[in-house]
Formats: sequence, C-alpha cells, structure tokens
Amino acid sequence: MMSRTNIIALIFLIIMGLYPLFADSAWLAIGTTFLVFSVVAFSQDIILGRAGAFHMGHAAFFGMGAYTTAILNVNFGWTILATWAPAVLIPVIVSFIVISPIIHLRGDYLLVATIGINIIFLQILENDLFGLTGGPNGIFGIDVLKVFGYEFFEQTHMYYMSFILLGITLFIMKNLDSSKFGRAMFYVNKDDVAAQSMGINIRYYKMYAFAIGAGIAGAAGSMFAVQYSAVSPEAFDVLQSIMFFTIVLVGGSASLPGVIIGTFVMFVLPEIFREFETARYLIFGLAMIIMMILRPRGIWPVKFGNIPSFLKKGKK
Amino acid sequence: MSKYLLEIKNVSKFFAGLTAIDSLNLKVKKGQIYGIIGPNGAGKTTLFNCITGIYTPEKGEILWNGKDIKGVAPHKIAELGILRTFQTIRLFSEMSVAENIMSGRHIKSKQKWYNGIIHTPAYYKDEKYNWEKTGEYMELFGLSDYATTPTGDLSYGIQRKIEMARALAAEPKLLILDEPAAGLNENETQELAEIIRKIQAMETTVMMIEHNMDMVMNLCEYMTVINFGAWIYDGVAADVQNNPAVIEAYIGAEDED
Repeated sequence: MMSRTNIIALIFLIIMGLYPLFADSAWLAIGTTFLVFSVVAFSQDIILGRAGAFHMGHAAFFGMGAYTTAILNVNFGWTILATWAPAVLIPVIVSFIVISPIIHLRGDYLLVATIGINIIFLQILENDLFGLTGGPNGIFGIDVLKVFGYEFFEQTHMYYMSFILLGITLFIMKNLDSSKFGRAMFYVNKDDVAAQSMGINIRYYKMYAFAIGAGIAGAAGSMFAVQYSAVSPEAFDVLQSIMFFTIVLVGGSASLPGVIIGTFVMFVLPEIFREFETARYLIFGLAMIIMMILRPRGIWPVKFGNIPSFLKKGKK
Repeated sequence: MSKYLLEIKNVSKFFAGLTAIDSLNLKVKKGQIYGIIGPNGAGKTTLFNCITGIYTPEKGEILWNGKDIKGVAPHKIAELGILRTFQTIRLFSEMSVAENIMSGRHIKSKQKWYNGIIHTPAYYKDEKYNWEKTGEYMELFGLSDYATTPTGDLSYGIQRKIEMARALAAEPKLLILDEPAAGLNENETQELAEIIRKIQAMETTVMMIEHNMDMVMNLCEYMTVINFGAWIYDGVAADVQNNPAVIEAYIGAEDED
C-alpha cells in the first residue's frame, strides 16, 4: 500500500515525464528551467530547511557551476560531459573555503555574510577575472552535450536531462533524510545546545549541508548554462538568491513537495500571468506577505515522524 | 586509571567579576548516584555546564578518569560518555519521540560521511540496529505508544522522560540530571526515582541537581552542598541533613519549593 505522499509524488513524476508531449517550445523552456530551479531550491533547502543556516548567497554556487562549464567549454575546449565533475567539485571546494570561516555565525549575521559572498562573486564575474568570465556580457556559444558522437541539442533533450538531474537530487534528499547526517542537521536546527550535548558537532554538520548544497547547485548551474548556451552575471545576483531562499520558506522548509510547490509558485506562476505585465508582481508580493502570515511553515509543511514501521505501534 | 570517575579540583568560574563557582572540589565514584544540592543561584547548573563543556572554568581541573577535560568541546564531552538533561527541557520539539531518542544514538552510529548521499549495506545494518536500540529505550521508559507523536504535544512529565531516554540512548558512563523532578507530580516523581534506580542498575553513574529533598535523600548515596558557588559540606544523606551549616544555608530558602 502506497502512502498518500508517494501517490502524489508518482502522479507528479508522470505529469512531468509526459509534459514535453504537450508543451510548445517556449513552455518547454520554462519547464526545463522549472526543473533546474527545483534542483537549486532543493539544494538551498538542505542548508536552510534542514541545517537551519540562513544562507542568502546560493545563486553564487549555482553560478559557479554554470561558469565552470562555460569557461572550461568555451575557453578551454572541454566537452560538456567533461565539465560536469568540476562543475560540482569547484562549488564544493569554494564552499569549504568561504563558508568555514563564517559557519559559526548565527541567523541574521550569517545571512548578511552570505549576501557578501554573493556580491563578491558577482563582482568577480563582472570584472572579467583573468579574462575568463567575459565581464558583464558573460560567455556565449556554450556547446551542447555530445556523447559517443550523438548530439543532445533539442529542447526535449535538455528537458529530460534536467528531469534526470531532479531525479538524482530527490534520490540524494531521500537518502540524506534517512541517514544520521540528515537527522543531525535537524537536531542542530531545532536546538543546537541540546544537539551538541548529544555529541553532535554543529560545525561539521552545517558544513556538510553547505558542501552538499553547493555541489547540487553546481550541477544545476552546469545544466542551466548548457540550456541557454550562454551565461551572464545577472542570472546569479543576490535577487536570485533571495528567490531560492523565498521558494523554500513559501513552499515549506525541509518538505520535498513543499519545495516543488514553492518553485512552481515563485517561478512558473509569474510566467503563466505574463500577459499582466508588471501588475502580476504586485499581486505576487501581496500573496507572499499573506502566505507568511497565514501559513508561516509553508504551503506544504514538513511532517516529522518518518520512523521504521516496526516502531509504529500502540495507540492508533 | 583514577580511583574516581569524575574529579572536580579547585574549579572556579567567573562571570564579569561575579564568582559563580568558587574553588570547588568534589569526587564522584563509578556507580554512585551523586547529589548536588544548594539554594537557588548557588551555581549548581553552572557546575554542570562546566563539566559538559558549555562553559570553560577559569581555574582548576575537571578530571575524567584522571584526564583533564576542561575546555573540551561539548560534543566531544558527549563522545567521552558524559550525557545530560536540562533544567528547562530541551527537546527537538517538532520531531517525533522516536526521532528525539534516536539523537542519542548519534555517537554510537557508525555511518560514513558518504552515507548521507548514498546508502550501503553497512548503512542499512547500522540504521536498523540503532532504530532497534531506540525502540528498546522507548520500551524502557514506557514511551512506545508515542513513537510518532511530536514531543511538543506531550505533557511535561512525559517530556522529562523523553529527555532522559534520549541521554540514556547514548549509553553514557555518567548521566547528569539537572532538576529531573521539577514540575512533576507526586506519582511522576515516584516513577522517576524508580527509573533512576534502574539507570544505576545499568552501571551508569548518575549526578543530579534536585530540590526535592525527599528524593535526594532517598536516592543519593553521597552529596555535596554548595552555596554562592562554594563548598559548604559533603557527606552521606543523614550527615547532610543534620549539618548546621547546611541548615543555615537553607533557612529562608525552604519555602521556595
């Protein structure tokens, strides 16, 4: 017998799997970006929703993945496939270097520090560091994925690649949540004093969350760069970080369906109401305010109590 | 190997010139139930915070099996086998009872760093074993019926039990209880005393702060009385009760409980 959540997840995957059959090319592009943004939102959720770190610079890790693929492909002639591993590893390594000195900061202090990281990252991109980042215009002419002489150049190919990436991300999230590491993040989040008294190294688990989050965001960035065959700084600015942060809170921190819904509400809905021009953002802003008042834990809040069934007994 | 499990040697802790603990000495033997008593504000919880690494005392030594553990990080203290509960209950309140107690298994779990991303056969074995252990501790404390209930939804008495079960799930060598009977009714206090006896039978040494004198006198084999952070007296229950210095420290503090 499947749980209600699993049935909903299956329906969602079927709909998303069949979506390219019904969508025109503009909507297919929106669908692809929706999948990529969902992946980034999930990686933000590891840091924000699970470890409880107020990280407002996630677009920087997303951008690092995108620029790694762009630079290695355009400037150095690497194939897209060869850029995947560095697109994941470079954000992970950078997260260790830039986050570990500020990991002990709490709440609002960490938030300001991570905004700082995002701003510095943007400055590096815009000032064309070592002549690699292309300055304010970014980098154009990124290749498509080629494997064994076969070129994945169509929109549908991009869509399904992003779909697979989302699948991998969900697989990792599930594994994380059912491991010592995912639980430790929650303990640190809910009560750090109690957590450390239970033997949990707060620093280690927060850093772990940042490293995994940065790696997944980097993978999404690589996908994003190939989809648009170009990268430019404004796609990775603080406003973008704010969007990922907001997606998690609006959808529901640490809730898998919540983050998907959050991405849909924050990214796809504005696209649907495009004909209303900027007026849609007025409604949108108001909706965000009302949401936080009425449902502070998100549209689909997380439910704890995922324990093995042999422990669920007694009172029904 | 030291004769004592825990030795507090001349420990002093100051807060902005205020002396919270004043050259305190005490020695806890393995298997004891050791009481720390004294009026409110005497520095008892500060002492516990020094032992568990939350505070670092300015002076003195804290010897664990003869080795100084002063200034060691709280999570490392827990790894050594010193676990605690809190005066004001600190549970992971949105999470279920089982998940809370599972946190006690954290230091016993042998999962590798990559198990947070990908699961291996060793992971499944470890995970299953630790959930089974969690089940055992829920059983021991009569919490099995609440396995999936968020701890915030449960009564104060049950929350106290969860906190103790959580600490005990880490299989501590020394369990530190900070006012375990606070806020409990008479039946619950009775039950608590029985649980503490059971813990002692599991060869866990217990150190406790408690204001409920009946319980302290009944349970603790040995105790230290402190006031204004300083030692007043230490001895067995009968001696402590009749000591004039102790009685004096408690005059005026009597009606607080």
